[in-house]
Amino acid sequence: MNALRRHRALSRIWASEPGLRGWFTTVNHTDLGRMFLAVAIFFFIVGGILAMLIRAQLASPRSAFLGPDHYNQIFTMHGTIMMFLFAIPFFEGLAVYLLPKMLGTRDLAFPRLTAYGFWCYVFGGSMMIFSLLAGVAPDSGWFMYPPLSSTIGAPGINSDFWLIGITFVEISAISAAVEITVTVLRYRAPGMSLSRMPIFAWYALVTAVMILTGFPPLILGSILLELERAFDMPFFQVAAGGDALLWQHLFWLFGHPEVYIIFLPAAGAISTILPVMARTRLMGYGWVVAAAVSLGVLSFGLWVHHMFTTGIPHMGLAFFSAASTLVAVPTAVQIFAWIGTLSKGRPSLHLPMLWLLAFFATFVIGGLTGVMVAIVPFDWQAHDTYFIVAHLHYVLVGGFVFPMLAALYYWMPHFTGRKTYFKLGNTAFWLIVPGFHGTFLLLHWAGLLGMRRRIDTYESGQGWEAINLIASISGFVMSIGFALVLIDVVINAAVAIRGSRDPWKAGTLEWAMPTPSAPYNFASLPQVTSREPLYDAPDLPVRLARGEGYLGDPSRGRRETLSVEIATGAPRYITVFPGNTVLPMLMSAVTGLFFLGMLLKTYWLVPISAIGVICCALYWAWSLGGTTREGALPVGHGPELLTAGEVADPPGWWGSIFLLLANGTFFGSLLFGYVFLWTIAPNWPPPRYAEPGLDVALAALAGAGLAALGPRLRPSTGLLLLLPGLGGLAWAGIRILARVPDPTAHAYDATLWVLMGYALLHLAVALVMALFVAARRRAGHIGAIAGGEPRIARLWSDYAVLISGIAVLAAALPGWLT
Amino acid sequence: MISVLRLSLPLGLWLASFSAVYGLHGLLCSSRWAAPPIALSERALLIGATLAAIALQALCLLILRSPRWREPDPRLRNIGLALAAVALLAAAWTMLPVVAFSSCL
Amino acid sequence: MHPAGPAAAIIATLWWVLLIGATAIFLLVAGLIAWAWRRPPGEVQERRFVVWLGLAFPLAVLAALLAYGLVIGERLLPRATPDLVEVRAEARQWDWRFGYADAPGRVTENQLHIPAGRPVDVAISSADVVHSFWVPRLAGKLDAVPGHVNVLRIEADRPGRYEGLNAEYNGPGYRDHRFTVIAHDAEGWQAFLRGERP
Repeated sequence: MNALRRHRALSRIWASEPGLRGWFTTVNHTDLGRMFLAVAIFFFIVGGILAMLIRAQLASPRSAFLGPDHYNQIFTMHGTIMMFLFAIPFFEGLAVYLLPKMLGTRDLAFPRLTAYGFWCYVFGGSMMIFSLLAGVAPDSGWFMYPPLSSTIGAPGINSDFWLIGITFVEISAISAAVEITVTVLRYRAPGMSLSRMPIFAWYALVTAVMILTGFPPLILGSILLELERAFDMPFFQVAAGGDALLWQHLFWLFGHPEVYIIFLPAAGAISTILPVMARTRLMGYGWVVAAAVSLGVLSFGLWVHHMFTTGIPHMGLAFFSAASTLVAVPTAVQIFAWIGTLSKGRPSLHLPMLWLLAFFATFVIGGLTGVMVAIVPFDWQAHDTYFIVAHLHYVLVGGFVFPMLAALYYWMPHFTGRKTYFKLGNTAFWLIVPGFHGTFLLLHWAGLLGMRRRIDTYESGQGWEAINLIASISGFVMSIGFALVLIDVVINAAVAIRGSRDPWKAGTLEWAMPTPSAPYNFASLPQVTSREPLYDAPDLPVRLARGEGYLGDPSRGRRETLSVEIATGAPRYITVFPGNTVLPMLMSAVTGLFFLGMLLKTYWLVPISAIGVICCALYWAWSLGGTTREGALPVGHGPELLTAGEVADPPGWWGSIFLLLANGTFFGSLLFGYVFLWTIAPNWPPPRYAEPGLDVALAALAGAGLAALGPRLRPSTGLLLLLPGLGGLAWAGIRILARVPDPTAHAYDATLWVLMGYALLHLAVALVMALFVAARRRAGHIGAIAGGEPRIARLWSDYAVLISGIAVLAAALPGWLT
Repeated sequence: MISVLRLSLPLGLWLASFSAVYGLHGLLCSSRWAAPPIALSERALLIGATLAAIALQALCLLILRSPRWREPDPRLRNIGLALAAVALLAAAWTMLPVVAFSSCL
Repeated sequence: MHPAGPAAAIIATLWWVLLIGATAIFLLVAGLIAWAWRRPPGEVQERRFVVWLGLAFPLAVLAALLAYGLVIGERLLPRATPDLVEVRAEARQWDWRFGYADAPGRVTENQLHIPAGRPVDVAISSADVVHSFWVPRLAGKLDAVPGHVNVLRIEADRPGRYEGLNAEYNGPGYRDHRFTVIAHDAEGWQAFLRGERP
């Protein structure tokens, strides 16, 4: 079979449906990556327009352009949209598009999940935009501190849009994170060991794990605040045992890692692009990986630096001041590694390189002001002033937007397959960068003069009128620059001439294919022997197109790729991907109904749509695998491998592990919140503690034992043990709830309801999964008989047993101890 | 997978100990703690916890260097050792305030 | 920017140290990039860049800075001291009420009276949402969190009027949620305590 026939056969197998239908049924990462990027850019434009409104209002003193009610919605939405609807999804889009290509595989680990995440993003984002257009947008600041954002300060529907809409969007982030983690660990080209991965993959992996552990505290906080608003469960109200500081801890436990989640992918892009611009290899790959991982984990120990003025004891602040200064070290290691790379190469001033230079100039300033505010006494003056506003824009725009513009221009030839028309891009650069500095540099000084953040206008004579006028004018210059970038991108995508395959002469695998890329990425998968496969073998693309790699034979007629050993990259099994389907979008829409029901308080919709989601999920899982054993199949070059349905650790098992990591972080945050309220919140102890008796303890223990043992025995007997085991634990939970019948009475009662609700939910999940696997076994599915499905169900039932046990213990502990 | 765990262990341990020491501090300073009358005991507890954390990190580093648990891929091994060194430094750096500063003010 | 009290003065000095240090580091990095750009291609000593510049240099600078900052922080804490004056500040949407330990029962709205030249502990609380107590020329800020009482040490060197602000966004009345601190000389303070209007 020659290259052209192979291309046609593979395209038939992998292509998305044509026309409008294709948009709703595609599960292809190339399409979805572009869709993510396009929607993210749309939200950037909306956020940018809001920014221009802010600057228009602040340009002059006593401005009557916007009243405080509108202004408060506008600045809240500017921050919310930029942080949640632009930055993270833009990274997701870039990662979704690039990772499989860089890693030498054909798609992400869970293609339908990519689509589901995309539609959740679109529907959730639409909710937020609707609120803006309807004039009921959230107006308590992008970090939504209660009590201002709760029933006392914001009785309308505004805050609910934030709490519910953003949680909906976060589903998209979590699903992307699970995918990226599993893809980077298990879906690479044969021979690509961890230490031969492109550096961007390391950064993406760290970022994805950070999302899995950083988002759950916010999801928890949002749920608690919404419960307080909708059902009066007093988590943040002091009078009933709550504490406003709990929100701040939960929010910033998310919020600080969030900004590193935003920076690290940009750093990954820089580590990829800068060496190519300098025509050399990255200096200190190992050091850079260590720095990225260090940055990722250390960033979880900084969160209280957003709370330096809340009255926490100085020693506590000292821990976080120390950690906040330490985090500058891995950042510095990366910066100096990049400068070292520049010095050993021959850098050339192409447009991506210009943007990287802008990054250096801007991010370094932002990092330096960051170290300044890490010093507690200085922060006591600078906190909540425009100094902070200036700092955060320097690090976010300098550290994310500029590198992403470099990435946009660097990978543009790949997205579109055309040569770029650079002149417009250069003009845009010279408008944006000076425009940015003009806007924000002097605002540091305004903050030090006392200009507070979030004020809707100011008196004249305070000393910062000129600064604000300059800032506003520069802001408009900058936005003209961004408009030019947009025009440049559109023109380039539509009109410019066809370009060559690897215009930058880079060495990573995404350039080893024709551009724009075919839906299957590689006609056959390469054997990788170094970090820059294209430098080793410049004729690699041709050889792959001729079918000389792995899986070059499309005769099985389905979407296949290889799954590899995590550390060494040796091929382990064949994964068969699902084809185009509308199921992800449908499930996302039903999920949207679930959230909409809660938002509009039409509560009958909630259980119905929940059941709808469960049905979609069951159908989704049922369509995997088949009922006949295929055995080991040839993959080219000799080895014969099993398919995923017949191995003990299929992709779903790994996906579950990482989803449980996020889930466990959620539960850990809940326990933290509980202990926090118990020890720090005023107005404790509650009128009474739930003191579960011996019956509850016995039921919990017996239940746990049965449920843990059951899945480890033969299937038929196992189920007979598991079901009563789960039932026993559930009964224990319900008995505890009976002792605290009113969740609105005190934060203790409310917390117990959430703990027990979480446990009951997971016991139900374990039940559904066990029954599902039993049904699959009856229907003869290989996955349930010889493969990993029982192990997946066991993961979830073990988790349910563990957290139920801990939840029962936690509920009883205060009563026992006092 | 064990390679990934080896890489994640040192800093993960740091995050756990850091949170534990901060949590211990919060507990000791909270009005609900039946505190021993001498402030010295509180500080002794905190210093003890910090030293334990630092010792655990050092142990981690030694384990990763020992032949039995060592990472076979040399480049990954170097990255792992660097991470363990970072975690050790981080433990000392971020928790040393316990020795010097006023505890609950 | 124009400190009028010991706390604010210490922080102002800190600011200038930070600015000078940051500028120096920025110029160093910029110079390094310019040098790197012009340098002819060829292998460089990885160790020099990563270990010395990336690790040792930042660690040394940061250690010194951290120590300096923490020591200052300790000095600003509200420790017991002989001529201390205690006042209370309660924030609400959108005004301030102040009470005085030395003049029980006396409450002033949006004006805080203190003696100049003596340390004053302000016990800050909130009646509703989270606010923040900030007199920039005298000291840093401290939040008013419902259910908690946070104590801030302020001191004015000289008698005068100082602007006070709420720095935590708290709704539509935020912009004008301010107060004035009036620092009296010794006689004026006694007069105030006796009940005379200033």
